[in-house]
Amino acid sequence: MERAGYGLTLAAMGAVMAALYLVFFVAPLEATLGISQKIFYFHVGSAIHMMVAFGVCALAGVTYLVSIRGAPGVADWADAVGVATAEVGVMLGAVVLVTGPLWARKAWGTWWTWEPRLTLSLMVFLLFLAYLALRSFAGEDRFARAVGSGLAILGLPAIYLIHYAVERWGGAHPQVIYKGGLQQPEMRLAFGVSVLAVGLTAWALVVLRMSLERQRRDLDRLFLEADRRMG
Amino acid sequence: MREAWRSFRALVGKDLRVEFRTRDVLYTTGLFALMLVVIFSFAFLSDPSKARDYGPGIIWVTVLLATTVGQNRLFDRERENDCLWALLLSPVSPEVLFLAKVTAQLAFALLMQVPTLGLIVLFFDLRVVDPASFFGALLLGNLALGLVGTLFSAMLMNSRMKEVLLPLVTYPLLVPVLIAGVKVTALALGAPVAEDPGGWLRFLVGFDMIFGVVTVLLFGRMIRA
Repeated sequence: MERAGYGLTLAAMGAVMAALYLVFFVAPLEATLGISQKIFYFHVGSAIHMMVAFGVCALAGVTYLVSIRGAPGVADWADAVGVATAEVGVMLGAVVLVTGPLWARKAWGTWWTWEPRLTLSLMVFLLFLAYLALRSFAGEDRFARAVGSGLAILGLPAIYLIHYAVERWGGAHPQVIYKGGLQQPEMRLAFGVSVLAVGLTAWALVVLRMSLERQRRDLDRLFLEADRRMG
Repeated sequence: MREAWRSFRALVGKDLRVEFRTRDVLYTTGLFALMLVVIFSFAFLSDPSKARDYGPGIIWVTVLLATTVGQNRLFDRERENDCLWALLLSPVSPEVLFLAKVTAQLAFALLMQVPTLGLIVLFFDLRVVDPASFFGALLLGNLALGLVGTLFSAMLMNSRMKEVLLPLVTYPLLVPVLIAGVKVTALALGAPVAEDPGGWLRFLVGFDMIFGVVTVLLFGRMIRA
């Protein structure tokens, strides 16, 4: 597992280098937005992988609750996935919420609006933070893990409904991809490689964090064992 | 099915009876809500002509905060002497237990809100133009708060920092309810917008249905873990 993490890390390093080169030296300047449009390459990549991380976290929650009684091994593994995706999700969310306003200030003239996709990113970020707070302060027992899983699972419909509710008010987010905004092939290449680079970085971190979590638990178990033998 | 209905009635009856004899949750949350209304009056009434704009938000924030305070206490009696485990060992299914708790919680919350809402309407000089959607939104919203709050209140019963963790966990999930609730209440108070509150009420019904099913399923699963 750790080896896979290091392999992914190396791949991520290469991909990030390639993405930076493509973004700054190959992709042309956007006509109206100028240099600020280049934020978009990493911003969208982070947003995509944040949402994926959130989905995986919820799936891990379902897996945990289904397998906790029958297959504790699987449950343990699913719980490690949940913690790892939540932590990496917070990191990706921070990237999205820092780069987004920077760009919005240039493009829309305002740091923040309560627009569907902005609200959505903020709420996913807050849900991840609540999940981590729960895991840090509610204790280390199976109960706390079950509560975390429940939160991740309920988060999915909540996020969907938040998006729907805010959308009813109307929004102004650029519909770049759907309306074929990226005309130049160099831009599309830079975009694809950026999404890949952010993804490799994020999932390398997830894999490494999972192996760390499992090592931590092994250590806890050994400690308890030693404690018991010493009497 | 009839067996389940009987245990449901017994469980709700138990909670209501204990509450009406001690009245601790009703008194404390009711008073807390009253304090909130007074605080909001001082905070927002510098310009009385704006009262109608603030009204819906103040109503929903008061409901949300006071309900959370009550929910923190919801499982206190079950914690003493491990009563929750006794209830789980009895031949009552956890789903029935959960629904009974949600019902009792809903009853406390609604009772507590009657005088509070009256005061808000009085202090802020609001006029309820459309009582059906006004009370409909409150009922549906409270049901949503009850479902989510009861689930996590039960789960966090024994954790050290449950007072802070409960709102931290439930509020992000309840944002859709707040959005829809404020919108319907604003329309019911005569906001000058041409919009049909029916759409938002249907949205609340949908939220209650989805979260009703998922929280009932989750409660059984989580409590067995």
